[in-house]
Amino acid sequence: MKKFVTYSDLVGIIKNIIGYEIIFPTTSRHFKVLKTVEDLNLLNLNVIRPIEPIKQFFFPAKESLMYEKKDLKQIILGVKSCDIQAIEVLDKIFLSAPADNLYQNYRNNTILISCDCILPEETCFCSIVGGKPYVEQDDGVSDLNISFIDENNLILESFTDKGEEFLKHYFSDFDLPKNSDELKRNSNRTVSSKKVIEYNAEFIKEDKKGKYYKTVKYTYELDEIWRKESDKCVQCGGCNFICPSCYCFLIREASISSENQYRDKVWDVCHFTGYARVAGGANPRKYKYQRFRNRYQCKFVYRYENFDFYACTGCGRCIEVCPARIDIRKVVISLVLAKGEQVLV
Amino acid sequence: MNIYQPKNFKIIKIIDETPNIKTFVLKPLNGDKFTFQTGQFIELTVYGVGEAPFTPSSSPYHTETIDVTIMRVGRMTEVLHSMKKGDVVGIRGPYGKGYPVDSFVGKQVLIIGGGVGLAPLRSLLLTLIERISEFKKIILCYGARTPQDIVYKYLFPEWSKIKGIEILRSVDKCQPGEWDETVGVVTCLLDKIDIDVKDTVAVVCGPPIMMKFTTLKLIDKKFKPEQIYLSMERNMSCGLGKCGHCQIGSYFICKDGPVFTWEQLKDIPEPFE
Repeated sequence: MKKFVTYSDLVGIIKNIIGYEIIFPTTSRHFKVLKTVEDLNLLNLNVIRPIEPIKQFFFPAKESLMYEKKDLKQIILGVKSCDIQAIEVLDKIFLSAPADNLYQNYRNNTILISCDCILPEETCFCSIVGGKPYVEQDDGVSDLNISFIDENNLILESFTDKGEEFLKHYFSDFDLPKNSDELKRNSNRTVSSKKVIEYNAEFIKEDKKGKYYKTVKYTYELDEIWRKESDKCVQCGGCNFICPSCYCFLIREASISSENQYRDKVWDVCHFTGYARVAGGANPRKYKYQRFRNRYQCKFVYRYENFDFYACTGCGRCIEVCPARIDIRKVVISLVLAKGEQVLV
Repeated sequence: MNIYQPKNFKIIKIIDETPNIKTFVLKPLNGDKFTFQTGQFIELTVYGVGEAPFTPSSSPYHTETIDVTIMRVGRMTEVLHSMKKGDVVGIRGPYGKGYPVDSFVGKQVLIIGGGVGLAPLRSLLLTLIERISEFKKIILCYGARTPQDIVYKYLFPEWSKIKGIEILRSVDKCQPGEWDETVGVVTCLLDKIDIDVKDTVAVVCGPPIMMKFTTLKLIDKKFKPEQIYLSMERNMSCGLGKCGHCQIGSYFICKDGPVFTWEQLKDIPEPFE
């Protein structure tokens, strides 16, 4: 179902939604939880994905396993395509049998409203790892999508039953978009895709035949390159924490005192020395370069073998967060060069 | 109730195996039976201290209690070793895929264990003993550091009486006059046995270094990668293929293993570090 809506109509309706926690992106690129109507002055749907990862709304950084929680109904507004793809990765991990019922509860109680990304920035690289800066129906995770036709006018399109119900409930009086509106939307999308490609002209572009997979896969023997590329890495774990599709966690059982025990599910980081270490001290990845390599192989090789898509969606958060200015795209380029292959084919 | 919630088990017996290894006999507090397949693992919680994966060492045919043989090696096992009969621990599982016992039928089964690595293999051996007539022969090669470090000392006399089982043991070092069996690392036992490799499966469990050299030795003896079964133990945290800790290549040891063939692992970097 599609509807033609103005931006002020959309904001007006969001103001009046009750029974949901509403989370939206701000101009300063943060996720904000709507508390008062004035908060909506900060709403900006045309920035790239927020700085923080979207996974926090389904997979909190620290979650107690000891207490039952009340289900929280939430609407996340303005989610960009890279984050929608990242949720698809998390779904594959957490919802495969036996499903993680904590994650499942969050997912079932959330309405995801995606939004075309029309102003990509230089850290964005969705289009070169098989993605695109907008969401379509068959992407499967977004319930409802917002496309800007121009500054004031939008097309809302539902993708799931949840999304259609939402449209029917709040937007039943609105008209269908005109054919010309849809054409304008399509041309906006093309412009945006082109911009992402332009920004990444010097990097490897996915060719639907697993180019990143092949590049990263056969690199065990390239230890020297991995050592060199990881040399600057300070193992802060920033890229892991901020990555929307990094799903590693630890079940932490501990206590402060005999009365104060806790058991929780906390984010973990494969870059940390102790991540894979076993009791007795043996460590399958004891060197930094092995852990560094592992993250690339997890994203482009292992999960690709499992799911047939990459666990990197090109959001660029890891590039933005890295204190050593390590750029995932450049690391891949140095692998290509080390193998004596052509970068631009 | 979430999927990471353990169930309470009571310690009903503690057996001292070696100076730093104990076997804990555990019974579900609610009176339920505990069923598992041999080779599957559990997550054991010492409340307020920690949780870690272990493989039961008892027979899956016995469902009233489970035995878990544990070496004191870290923070959590230190506390576990100080626990007493009657204390309560938490258990989740069983998780993963166990030994494919049915596919061993009609073959010789060569079991190679090192140190406390005999724990999961004891469970396998007890399973094979239940169905002993279905296998051509069972050979157990077991190596420990010293004669004191041998686990299940009291069971070997019993096992060696069973027709169809051959047992060879070695220790890395010993005092003069203390040991009249083989001295040397466990792989040297493989030179002492007479097997038809084509008709044999090898099952290996032990510390990483032992697994590595045993695998190399078996390949040397012309075992095919798919005839070698390895119990891969990593620091599984969730046990359900989600938390990522035990990933080895595209496998999650907790979900796709912990038992793997060498065929599955041979192209993965650092399998035995």
